[in-house]
Amino acid sequence: MTSSTPRWLLGGLALQNLGRRKARTSLLVAAVAISSAVAFTGLVLMRSIERSTSVGFSRLGADLMVVAQDALTNITPALLTVEPTDTTVDAEAIGRAAVAGVGRVAAQRVLRTERSGLGGGHGDSVDLIGFDPQQDFTVQPWIAERLGRALAPGDVILGAARNLPLGAEIVLFGKPFRVYAKLGRTGAGTHERGIFMRAEDLIALGPSVRQQTGTLPSMLLPGRVSGFLLELAPGATELQVRFALLSRLTGVKVVSSGSLLTGIRQGLTALLGGLLALLVLMFASMAVMVGVLFSAIVTERRSELGLMKAIGARRGQIVGMTMTEAAVATGGGGLIGVLAGMLLLRLFERSLVYHLTEMGIPFLWLDRTGMLAAALACVALAALIGPAGALVPAWRAARRDPYDLIRGEG
Amino acid sequence: MLSCRSVHKVYATDRGPVDAVRGVDLEVAAGRYAALIGRSGSGKSSLMAMVGGLARPTSGTILVDGIDIWSLGDSAMARFRSRRIGYVFQFQSLLPTLRAIDNVALPALLDRSRSRGDVYPRALELLREVGLGDHHDAFPSEMSAGEQRRTVIARALINEPALLLADEPTADLDEQTEREILALLTGVNRDRSTTLVLVTHNLALAGAAEQVVHIADGAVVP
Repeated sequence: MTSSTPRWLLGGLALQNLGRRKARTSLLVAAVAISSAVAFTGLVLMRSIERSTSVGFSRLGADLMVVAQDALTNITPALLTVEPTDTTVDAEAIGRAAVAGVGRVAAQRVLRTERSGLGGGHGDSVDLIGFDPQQDFTVQPWIAERLGRALAPGDVILGAARNLPLGAEIVLFGKPFRVYAKLGRTGAGTHERGIFMRAEDLIALGPSVRQQTGTLPSMLLPGRVSGFLLELAPGATELQVRFALLSRLTGVKVVSSGSLLTGIRQGLTALLGGLLALLVLMFASMAVMVGVLFSAIVTERRSELGLMKAIGARRGQIVGMTMTEAAVATGGGGLIGVLAGMLLLRLFERSLVYHLTEMGIPFLWLDRTGMLAAALACVALAALIGPAGALVPAWRAARRDPYDLIRGEG
Repeated sequence: MLSCRSVHKVYATDRGPVDAVRGVDLEVAAGRYAALIGRSGSGKSSLMAMVGGLARPTSGTILVDGIDIWSLGDSAMARFRSRRIGYVFQFQSLLPTLRAIDNVALPALLDRSRSRGDVYPRALELLREVGLGDHHDAFPSEMSAGEQRRTVIARALINEPALLLADEPTADLDEQTEREILALLTGVNRDRSTTLVLVTHNLALAGAAEQVVHIADGAVVP
């Protein structure tokens, strides 16, 4: 009871102080609310755009492809894919080359076979594609429907041209697989007809393939892959990376998908980073503004603060009361701002996002957890800005002798 | 009870340092009623502020019950101000957002040693003693100057201090109210044996004091 009493008392005083200058408090709350609304809306939109573009650009596939010199390649406007061929490259080649400017790397093994047993063994040509789900950025973004769980050993993903339901069982080289997911239409042949599986699952088919065909294709050997799909790091140029790869690797060719989309993706990444920096600057300027305002508030109220010290308030209590007042004002502003931001997002959803969706351009909102985290972050940041701005004036006042404050000094 | 030794106070101003108090030596025994008298600007209020722990002396020592108060740290000094000193200012000194009873209870609540359940009945009792039992819910803006001053006296007594300091407590009051306030203060000194130091420039008010100290130009006049 006794230890909580001063907190209750000082908290009450802080609230009462806010109520004494309703117009000023309202303006402060409004200023913070506007900033928080902009920050929250900006953050959610930014992350949603980032998410949408991440999926969108991932669907556009790799920027570069590295395959054996005599391999076939397929360049479509939408997707760069490794075509089935007998030639392979060393699975560690890209890692060893250590070329700066290479972002993500996804290795693929592609086996075209007519003896998989699919379709009753009547010569149905199948492209079996092995990929590493952890590294992949060109297959999974195309998934249109999937089972409600993660990809597991023994799962396959079917290209859009294959009509089998999710969960159905198929047999490849005598081994059963479960249809885990189906891709959307890509326009790239291997993706349309392909059956995708974990690289380990494809390699494990090796003995059966040898038994059926009499040979073991080199892409089923551990340490060999059909090719690599590469994504450029932000700022890296396609030409730069292509020359670096060719100078360090022998017996390969480097195929590009065209620099326009790469440029757009890199540009958007930089733009989103810039927007984040602007939001940080906006909150910093808000903190300075609150600091200036609370300097004035403390100056205006110094005789009362002096009086409180005179009757027994400690420095910490003076600072705590002033900072509580600031935190309530700016935290309240932050909360109102986030609520206003939610309304803005609803308007945005009903206007621009609706039109984008109508045009077939997907807009993926930040998920509920992410949205909640953004809201809490904005309110917390707003609530912290007040005390941060009020700390110095409050501390300076609290250090003065009560008589100085009562006489109007400090 | 109170002992001041070679106390100096110099204020830094734009026109250079101003000597407000110059080497004051003062002794006030426990339970006494002492009056500091002198003209405006003579240094009485500055001396009182230093004795009450409100203004740090430029030099010299102030002992209250043998404790060198200006050697205390922030927390100990806050406790000293709250528990040992009751201060009645020469101006309106109630917090405007608090009711009379909250203002009276405030020093005890800030001290954190007593619960609200203990403090509020005592605050109400003190308000009754100063004749404001019916006004305990009133805000300062709803009270007259005399009622506010009586509330301040009640606040000064909430922690039962050993030393009651009153700095020109009747400066802005009419004669009738002035007499009432003075009667309250001397009553506290007499009935509770609380040491009372009253600052005034009114010689008539100082007449009832057991000890009168003349201050002129920052120094005690023999």
